[in-house]
Amino acid sequence: MPTDVWPAEWVRATLPLSVLAVVAEAETYGYAIAQRLQEAGLGAVKGGTLYPVLNRLEQDGLVTSSWREGAGGPGRKFFTVTPRGRAHLAERAAAWQTFTERATGLLPSVGSTR
Amino acid sequence: MSTSTDTYRRQLVQALQAGGVPPGRIGEVVAEVESHVADTGEDPREAFGPAREYAAAVAGPPSPGSRVWLGVVLALSAACGWLIAEGVFGVVRNEPVLGLPEGWALVAGWLLWAPAVLAQLRSRPPVPDPLTGRPMTPGRGQVVLGMTVFLAALMAACWLLAALTTA
Repeated sequence: MPTDVWPAEWVRATLPLSVLAVVAEAETYGYAIAQRLQEAGLGAVKGGTLYPVLNRLEQDGLVTSSWREGAGGPGRKFFTVTPRGRAHLAERAAAWQTFTERATGLLPSVGSTR
Repeated sequence: MSTSTDTYRRQLVQALQAGGVPPGRIGEVVAEVESHVADTGEDPREAFGPAREYAAAVAGPPSPGSRVWLGVVLALSAACGWLIAEGVFGVVRNEPVLGLPEGWALVAGWLLWAPAVLAQLRSRPPVPDPLTGRPMTPGRGQVVLGMTVFLAALMAACWLLAALTTA
């Protein structure tokens, strides 16, 4: 189903782990994270949704941040995953897979009219 | 920087200050918004929603302490302005204010200026830019000057009004 508009509560549920996964790929900043999420097919994530998630991850010690001078414009806040964040991601990614498999098992399969 | 970003920054800082958010954290939130919209080219209101709502989402509900300080600032400023205005009218019309010689209200008004400015400074500490450490809000000097100029202008306006209506 080629869609980029998902129910808001699905996005809310997956965003913390997805954002953590993007930061774990490489050190990055807010706008680049939003672009990466969109490329991955999760839809357009607004700044007002993204930054509270990033701040929460930082509060929980899963990522750290530092400000760096931008080229011409204002500075950029770069996020880096911590060892704890990496461990959390591995554990939750496995749990998420199990969870979605179970949910998928319960839902009618695509094309069926159960 | 565009006018809409400037306005948004001012509203966001005010809302976060009213919410009792520490200055360092306010600087972070504001810089995140500015950095993001500089990258996307969006209007900050479109990307982050109305400043007041975004501040509430970031800060949680305003702390009782911050509400008290806001109330103190408002009450002191209002009393200060009212006494000065009444004092000016009293002096021009040669009428006592609250049963006291008219000059007293004027003096009392200006005496309240100091605590009003102090409360204002206390409730709005300077917000540091997370990148440079420089303040991103008006400094203490500007707050003091702004309030003094406002009261002087109020006094002049009342004087004019009183002179015109008394003659």
